[in-house]
Amino acid sequence: MTDFTQIDAMPPARRSWPRIRPARGLGFTLLALLALCAVAGPDLVGQDPAKQSLLEARQPPSADNLLGTDHLGRDMAARLLSGAQLSLSLAVLSVLTAGLPGTLLGIVAAWYGGWTDRVLTSFADAVLALPGLLLVLMLAAISPGSWWALYAGISLTLWVEYFRYTRQRARIVMAEPAVEASRLLGLTPGLIIRRHLVPEIGPGLLTIAAFGAATAVTAVAALGFVSVGVRPPTAEWGVMMTELLPYWREAPFLILQPVACLVITVLALHLSVGGMRRP
Amino acid sequence: MTLSDAPSIAVDALSVFFGATRLLGPVSFRVAAGETLVIMGETGAGKSLTAQAILGTLPKELRAEGKVTINGRQVDTLSPTDRSALWGRDIATLPQEPWLALDPLMQAGRQVAEAHRYVAGLPPEGARNACVRDFETLGLVGAERRLPGALSGGMAQRVAFAAATAGRAPILLADEPTKGLDAERHARVVGLLTQVPKDGGALLVITHEAAVARALGGNIIVLRDGRVIEQGQTDQILAKPQEPYTQDLLAADPQAWPRSGTAPDGAVVLTAEGLAVTRGDRVLIEGFDLSLRAGERVAVTGPSGVGKTTLLDTLAGLIAPARGNVQRAKSLGRHAVQKLYQDPPAAFPPHVPLEQSLRDVARLHGVTWDRVTEYLIALNLLPDLLERRPDAVSGGELQRISVARALTVGPVVLLADEPTSRLDPITQRQTLELLAGITEAKGISIVLVTHHAAIAENWAHQSIELKSAT
Repeated sequence: MTDFTQIDAMPPARRSWPRIRPARGLGFTLLALLALCAVAGPDLVGQDPAKQSLLEARQPPSADNLLGTDHLGRDMAARLLSGAQLSLSLAVLSVLTAGLPGTLLGIVAAWYGGWTDRVLTSFADAVLALPGLLLVLMLAAISPGSWWALYAGISLTLWVEYFRYTRQRARIVMAEPAVEASRLLGLTPGLIIRRHLVPEIGPGLLTIAAFGAATAVTAVAALGFVSVGVRPPTAEWGVMMTELLPYWREAPFLILQPVACLVITVLALHLSVGGMRRP
Repeated sequence: MTLSDAPSIAVDALSVFFGATRLLGPVSFRVAAGETLVIMGETGAGKSLTAQAILGTLPKELRAEGKVTINGRQVDTLSPTDRSALWGRDIATLPQEPWLALDPLMQAGRQVAEAHRYVAGLPPEGARNACVRDFETLGLVGAERRLPGALSGGMAQRVAFAAATAGRAPILLADEPTKGLDAERHARVVGLLTQVPKDGGALLVITHEAAVARALGGNIIVLRDGRVIEQGQTDQILAKPQEPYTQDLLAADPQAWPRSGTAPDGAVVLTAEGLAVTRGDRVLIEGFDLSLRAGERVAVTGPSGVGKTTLLDTLAGLIAPARGNVQRAKSLGRHAVQKLYQDPPAAFPPHVPLEQSLRDVARLHGVTWDRVTEYLIALNLLPDLLERRPDAVSGGELQRISVARALTVGPVVLLADEPTSRLDPITQRQTLELLAGITEAKGISIVLVTHHAAIAENWAHQSIELKSAT
């Protein structure tokens, strides 16, 4: 009945980029560390991730092997780092190749509307109708064990989210009097996108990107784990889990390591966008 | 149910504080059965704070002091739950922006029937009948099944009125009930309100319009910055205001404005012939003719929903005319026609500092920043304001900034869509005066859409009244 929520005073400034909270700080720190590990790779520990030594199988951590060795005597730290390299680069790559076209097509659909919009939206809906994992599996079947099939499959499933989000937000923004005013004032399309659209969709896109990257990392590991993704002897977290699973009773710390890496990565990605405006 | 014999509301030395800062008060008044009290003032005067303090809906960080008595019962000492039990039964409120107060997903009739059922405690059948009666009395027949989104502003206002008064509370508190209404609906709402004291209720109305106060009569409190400036009988204070502020406030009423001079005899810059405006299959406006001369101010009035905004967009070339044609003088450049919007914050990109927005326009049109600063100064704006974002300056300032932004382009015609309907009266007068002055000096023509007949009459050189074509 009553609707006196508004006081006659200056409204607080709207914030689109919230201040960094402790959880986000932690997320960023973890991401930075992971990025460092991925860039440096196995060089960080000076060991070859593929070098076997059956005599030194399943060793506990030592000065030479910081995190011990696996069932074939390979250095765990080097293998985890190599896995980080693979997972994170695949995640970044697929986010970029999904995010850029997805966002651009979303803007195009909202900007032109009409047939352009209908065709693009139908296409996106068609892609959405396919289960993402199925698409990846199909591509993996064409070229078993290759990283590009994984990458193409993940990227093809992820772009739809960017497209749908951008299109929906952009349609609202485009209909605002502010955009009409800017057009009348002679602002170029590029400038309209920069001033009106980017601040509006930027935070949401970052959130989608972080979640998308987490999905990609998990997908790579999941496919590796069920032996349709990257194949051994490549050091990949999912593959490592499969290989180390038989030894979980004797050496639980071995299988725990790739699992922990996966959890930390996904956690870091989610934390880093925590509190950001959700799409 | 408290249909008490002598409904009344008494407020004693009411103050509202934010920390140690006094935002309002002390205010004291008494409204008995059959009486009316008008609280008048501009935005920020503390009118809504008064209402919130009476109802007990102040935001948490604010604190109220003083005594509030409703129907002989002191309520400021009650718990929030007990206070909310008074709502609708002892005191009803008619909120501003009624479409925000209605449930957007519930049919209009149901919302009113629900109030009859649960607030007034009628049986289901009785509640439905009462709702039908309300809709008949208020001229809303046929709107029972519509969702609030499909109602016009005036209809939503009446539905909210029906829902608010369904609990038969003897005291009605109306917060800016006429905000943004066209002349006809304005009169109808005022009519509804004047009926309240006649029926033995107590009426408390918050408004910034002197005309509303005049029509309602009774007693008045003039508030400014939370302080009572004047208090007394409405007709006396309106006739002989003692305080300079009250005088300004009354002078800001468009009916009191001086008439504008004759139109300059400039060249014709924009013509419209036999223009028709449609929305979907409906013809809204038929046979609209206009011949706009340089430096001329033309006002377009008409009821809400008649198609004023669509007409402006057609003149701006944003919409192709359904019939007829719009012609610009050959000398006009591509950006010679600019628009001013009703809601200034909606006309700027919300996340961009104002200076950036203005610099973009200046750069694109090769205008120096000094020139933009000149416009700002001519419009009584401090350049420091531009460091802020659109939501951090007042509506009046932002509307003047949008005028400066339009001037940067070097326009020949300004199409203004109710540019001051969301502004306070004094600000409205200043804004329109500045706009008239600066456009006259530059020979810019204006087409102003307004629902205010007095503004059309006094401010414009020529006034066109639109009537619905159907």
